[in-house]
Amino acid sequence: MESRACSRASLGEMAAWTMGARGLDKRGSFFKLIDTIASEIGELKQEMVQTDVSLENGLEPSEAHSMVRHKDDDYSEEKDVKTCPRDSGYDSLSNRLSILDRLLHTHPIWLQLSLSEEGAAKVLQSQPPGIFLVRKSTKMQKKVLSLRLPCEFGAPFKEFAIKESTYTFSLEGSGISFADLFRLIAFYCISRDVLPFTLKLPYAISTAKTEAQLEELAQLGLNFWSSPADNKPPNPPPPHRPLSSDGVCPASRQLCLINGVHSIKTRTPSELECSQTNGALCFINPLFLKVHSQDLSGGLKRPCTRTPNANGTERPRSPPPRPPPPAINSLHTSPQLSRTETQASMPETVNHNKHGNVALLGTKPTPIPPPRLKKQASFLEAEGSAKTLTGCRPRPGQEREPEEPGPGTAGGPGGAPPAEPPGNCTRAAGPESRPPWHGGRQRLSDMSISTSSSDSLEFDRSMPLFGYEADTNSSLEDCEEESDQETMAPPIKSKKKSNSSFVLPKLVKSQLRKMSGVFSSFMTPEKRMVRRIAELSRDKCTYFGCLVQDYVSFLQENKECHVSSTDMLQTIRQFMTQVKNYLAQSSELDPPIESLIPEDQIDVVLEKAMHKCILKPLKGHVEAMLRDFHMADGSWKQLKENLQLVRQRNPQELGVFAPTPDFVDVEKIKVKFMTMQKMYSPEKKVMLLLRVCKLIYTVMENNSGRMYGADDFLPVLTYVIAQCDMLELDTEIEYMMELLDPSLLHGEGGYYLTSAYGALSLIKNFQEEQAARLLSSETRDTLRQWHKRRTTNRTIPSVDDFQNYLRVAFQEVNSGCTGKTLLVRPYVTTEDVCQLCAEKFKVGDPEEYSLFLFVDETWQQLAEDTYPQKIKAELHSRPQPHIFHFVYKRIKNDPYGVIFQNGEKDLTTS
Amino acid sequence: MMAIRELKVCLLGDTGVGKSSIVCRFVQDHFDHNISPTIGASFMTKTVPCGNELHKFLIWDTAGQERFHSLAPMYYRGSAAAVIVYDITKQDSFHTLKKWVKELKEHGPENIVMAIAGNKCDLSDIREVPLKDAKEYAESIGAVVVETSAKNAINIEELFQGISRQIPPLDPHENGNNGAIKLGKQATQASRRCC
Repeated sequence: MESRACSRASLGEMAAWTMGARGLDKRGSFFKLIDTIASEIGELKQEMVQTDVSLENGLEPSEAHSMVRHKDDDYSEEKDVKTCPRDSGYDSLSNRLSILDRLLHTHPIWLQLSLSEEGAAKVLQSQPPGIFLVRKSTKMQKKVLSLRLPCEFGAPFKEFAIKESTYTFSLEGSGISFADLFRLIAFYCISRDVLPFTLKLPYAISTAKTEAQLEELAQLGLNFWSSPADNKPPNPPPPHRPLSSDGVCPASRQLCLINGVHSIKTRTPSELECSQTNGALCFINPLFLKVHSQDLSGGLKRPCTRTPNANGTERPRSPPPRPPPPAINSLHTSPQLSRTETQASMPETVNHNKHGNVALLGTKPTPIPPPRLKKQASFLEAEGSAKTLTGCRPRPGQEREPEEPGPGTAGGPGGAPPAEPPGNCTRAAGPESRPPWHGGRQRLSDMSISTSSSDSLEFDRSMPLFGYEADTNSSLEDCEEESDQETMAPPIKSKKKSNSSFVLPKLVKSQLRKMSGVFSSFMTPEKRMVRRIAELSRDKCTYFGCLVQDYVSFLQENKECHVSSTDMLQTIRQFMTQVKNYLAQSSELDPPIESLIPEDQIDVVLEKAMHKCILKPLKGHVEAMLRDFHMADGSWKQLKENLQLVRQRNPQELGVFAPTPDFVDVEKIKVKFMTMQKMYSPEKKVMLLLRVCKLIYTVMENNSGRMYGADDFLPVLTYVIAQCDMLELDTEIEYMMELLDPSLLHGEGGYYLTSAYGALSLIKNFQEEQAARLLSSETRDTLRQWHKRRTTNRTIPSVDDFQNYLRVAFQEVNSGCTGKTLLVRPYVTTEDVCQLCAEKFKVGDPEEYSLFLFVDETWQQLAEDTYPQKIKAELHSRPQPHIFHFVYKRIKNDPYGVIFQNGEKDLTTS
Repeated sequence: MMAIRELKVCLLGDTGVGKSSIVCRFVQDHFDHNISPTIGASFMTKTVPCGNELHKFLIWDTAGQERFHSLAPMYYRGSAAAVIVYDITKQDSFHTLKKWVKELKEHGPENIVMAIAGNKCDLSDIREVPLKDAKEYAESIGAVVVETSAKNAINIEELFQGISRQIPPLDPHENGNNGAIKLGKQATQASRRCC
């Protein structure tokens, strides 16, 4: 083990590396060493996972391997070793790149989804047997693996259909499924399974020494196949034919690495339920999980495919995020942007370290009660970050560098993000005052391994059910995403508490923290994709990022642009739908979303990503606006009065004839509603609503065995909502009603949401109802309009509507730079934009100003008859991303214009 | 593999006629691994095979009391079918049923499949609504009609099978997207009642 100081020194490098330094090969051997250690730990983990999964108590790795072999009996080790350059992990010093790495880097070459059958035939014709392409067959409406065959097979190539289930990819006819396409291909490079022989990477790819080389090849895209880069090996080895099924399988480790856990296609019912998103809302009903937990405890021999597969070496795959924008950019970006950036980048470290711990721990974790200090640290953090969401929105000071070990977290197991400065922590005292039933507290203290806020209760909830290993998988599903959302209490509170208390020696932990990057691959493809999209949305060099950022800042700056709360929510919903459509078709996602996410899940994943990159930054704004609207139109005042009125009635007067929740239950429900307010995702909010409904039902049924329908439920719900006496519930329900993915409105969530809306409408109209015994026709109309809106929303919109934003910076010598997002339609000329700017920036002498484009470090004054939006579109369409800004500033070269001294020269020449 | 098609079914009828009992009976009679986790009996789902499709019924129960009537549009919007339940021992409930049919015709989704269930047929000795009346009425509006007994599990399956049969099979060109049909319906409906 290295000394602490050492690893700390390496940290900077790691950080720089993950942050995007590309010259990986230039790193010193010292860092290579770290790297190697990292990847070996990753592998170690894999082995241990295997062992643990297969057999409860740690076993010889070979036994675990033999398990793999059963699934892969046609496997011939000898030949593979020859044909496939592999990274066994232990040679990583010399040859770091695994097959998966190579595939990930070179997907523009072999992943040709839009290639026709003829095109594929043409490419493969000149290739040796074993070479392959993946494309989408229009005939089959499926992705296919096109494989070059040796001449004795008759046909020059053959296509194998790729089957996509809800979570996995597999070859038609094979029982082995994979989390994504890359892992599938990597597996078939090693094992033939249902193929006539294993796949082969083109010689240039399989012999590339560095990622840079691979990147270079990848640049060629489809042209690779016809370029000289695609050189052939001196002696192409023939593809090996299947051999008999015996033979040891030393490469099984590689298999494991590829697929995380050697994969089996089946999932336990609980897993399926976990993310069932078709139709009904994908709410996890923990009750149901419970039912199936027995499956798991009984049959742990079946590792789940959901394991966020991958090994340490997978890490370099994700292209490093773009470097932070140059100085000028910060002039424009609002504090919110930088805030979200730092915030969102935080959870990564956390997850991986957590799992790293588990990994290293390996065989037998000893449950030790966590030291008090740690407990506190974790607690503060969880609270702290939960608060960031609810409370003050922009906190630019709160920069968090995930790789930097904060002083507060040194003791925090699992490398939690640095604790906030003491000042920020003050609020953490809050939870103390919570009613003790709330599970969050007890849970947090349970989790000595997972200190951070991102280990929200998703993690915790699954823990007792899945046990130790399985839990690592399932927790990953969620712990990353809603990192800032306060944990949700599962309705079932009777859980075992002990199983997560594994504590690592401090030294190990600090080591592991440094390795954070290694574990980034433990996320599911879904998580990774959501994160990638969120990253992209913050990158203004991308068209998508521009769309999102412009829209977000436009909304925030133009409070007057919506006439009503529904109008506002509706536009946001529409924007999300449109951006989703854009993203589904655009090529900005790399690797393409189709290669990581099975097709029927793409929309679900995109929806999640939209919540993260649009609703999350807008949450505070939207809340404030909703409140303002309701205050202004007096509806809250009336609601308040009516709540009061209804609360004075006894249940029977409201039509309640079933047992009602008592005071304690109402308090519980209130807390759930308060938790709901902290969420930005409408789906998560609905999930909490369902928990409330479940609680109400439990009280109603009261072990009587009686089933209550809506006749009984709706009055009780109305009663409960009145008892809770929360005005905010009105906006919460509005938020969910308008922003929930329309496809979820028919399911269980949609049902109870409708009921809650109905109950609230009844309360709002209580006085009138007493007179007329009917809702006012006005409410009826509102309902109809809502219905109409939500249904017409689904017409396919075009992105065009949202291309209409232009971010313009305003530069003044004295006051520095300010930015505004303006509504600028495609055919608005620069002249008009200038006018608009003069107005918005309150410029007294507009003739002195003009609109400039700052791009590639040069300034260009835009002619009056040009179209800024066209220019923007053109810039975005260039193959290389450009950083550019529209700046409204004085035309005359300002003698005091110190800021742009470099650029001004160009201006004078132009 | 059969495509699962989700069908929203809304339950209407006076309070106390046994709407939820019918659904409970339907959903729970046979053990079904596909029953979704359910919060309570007011929303239930059940998947049944129909031809070469699987129909997943998403059953929305409504509160039958008069005071909740105005909320009904929220529940029946987007429904592929409505089950309107009356109690054969209560003439009033049959009267309410007619009001529901009228409302659905006026404001409900176009082409909504209507099924009439005369519940509590185990109590036929105190019957107030003759089967003949119900049949004639159903015929006049083109609805499915059966007399059921949730208590004795009579005709429950048949009721839903009847609905399944009335649901037009998916247009093969629509590529298995079950939302498509509902969507179309909703869109037309929205334009019709444009307010």
